[in-house]
Amino acid sequence: MTTEIHSLIGAYALDALDDLERAAFDRHLRECATCRAEADELREAANHLADGAWSVPPPRLRDNVLAAIAQTPQLTPAAAPRPRVRARSPHRLRWVAAAAVVLAAVGAGTIVHTIEDQRVRREQALAAILTAPDVIWHEESLASGGRVRVATSDRRDAGVIMLDADQAPTAGKVYQLWTIRSGVPSSAGALDEGQSVSTRIVDDLSTADAVGVTVETAPESKTPTAPLDAQVNLA
Amino acid sequence: MTEPSVGDRREHIAPAPDAAALLTAVAGGDEKAFGQLYDLVAPRVFGLVRRVLRDPAQAEEVAQEVLVEIWRTAARFDPGRGSPTGWILTIAHRRAVDRARAEQAATDRTLKVGAASVDTPYDEVADEVTGRIERQQVRVCLDGLTELQRQAVTLAYYQGHSYPQVSQLLGVPLPTVKTRMRDGLIRLRDCLGAEVPA
Repeated sequence: MTTEIHSLIGAYALDALDDLERAAFDRHLRECATCRAEADELREAANHLADGAWSVPPPRLRDNVLAAIAQTPQLTPAAAPRPRVRARSPHRLRWVAAAAVVLAAVGAGTIVHTIEDQRVRREQALAAILTAPDVIWHEESLASGGRVRVATSDRRDAGVIMLDADQAPTAGKVYQLWTIRSGVPSSAGALDEGQSVSTRIVDDLSTADAVGVTVETAPESKTPTAPLDAQVNLA
Repeated sequence: MTEPSVGDRREHIAPAPDAAALLTAVAGGDEKAFGQLYDLVAPRVFGLVRRVLRDPAQAEEVAQEVLVEIWRTAARFDPGRGSPTGWILTIAHRRAVDRARAEQAATDRTLKVGAASVDTPYDEVADEVTGRIERQQVRVCLDGLTELQRQAVTLAYYQGHSYPQVSQLLGVPLPTVKTRMRDGLIRLRDCLGAEVPA
């Protein structure tokens, strides 16, 4: 399994993986220091491919960028060692692992299998949407920092919302996702407190007009609180 | 012959010795240092993004995102994992590829457009090479790759294709593409590491 994923290292260094694979590979790297070193080296080699690409940007870019950074808060060094991928729910994984140990101890192997099975089915469902021939991607920045990406497929009659915030909201607050149809929002679920990354499959998403992200008081809100942290128009 | 250390290999990608110092100052909120860093790296960022996206207007938009992202996340830069310029180019490439894929998904449901350019990715690269020493170096090193390694690496890097797309474009199985990307980069790394004076 580990070897299997490690064979993606070249594609990873070239940014030739899709989001799911990239997340899986990041997990792999977190568990393997020598793999990290190899990935860093291959990445540096890949960066040399940019040596020939050198082009003076229009002068207005400098003005625009300098104006933008004056308005852009920086991440603190303290937040730095926690890359955004961290939030891919180590808690839940630990819980599943702990549950597996307990269940194995009492000999209830079938339940472990069910948990694993659900995970696999979810990944398959995700893959089916993300690799659908008619998949359409949308992306917006979060006002609070980070990105939300939405993939929809008419053919699969479903979509995926991927929230990738730089950090979780302050204590007592959570990110909540919304689908908006004819101006009427409906909740697509809230993240847990302390959670900044989530990937959700939403049935029927391709018929929505927009996806919204808000910051709400935990555990979730019935109606979205203005202003939206991000709105992704799907039309 | 002495084997260059990993550190040596990483150093030479930086266009100026003080990119690291500037980045440290930027991490501390120094806007003036950011202006200097901008002057140092913006042409490389814009050049790379434009190389991947081809459309100058989109490239400008994405380059701006990248440069603001550098400001925002400067404190995250970890010198233990690569050079400052490498870190910046990594962000730039990733953003450019994300945008290219989004565009691809939106406008080009098939790979036909990509297939038309299959024969020429390397030639296009060569066209843009105009004699800077380091560019020559990467070009020489690319020449040292097998045809399949070179195609796999350049289709992914310069055109933002995923490895399954590269597999389709080149008509070779997925495991082969994964392997060629990996051993192509290893060969490139060894070539660049060996030829660049410390």
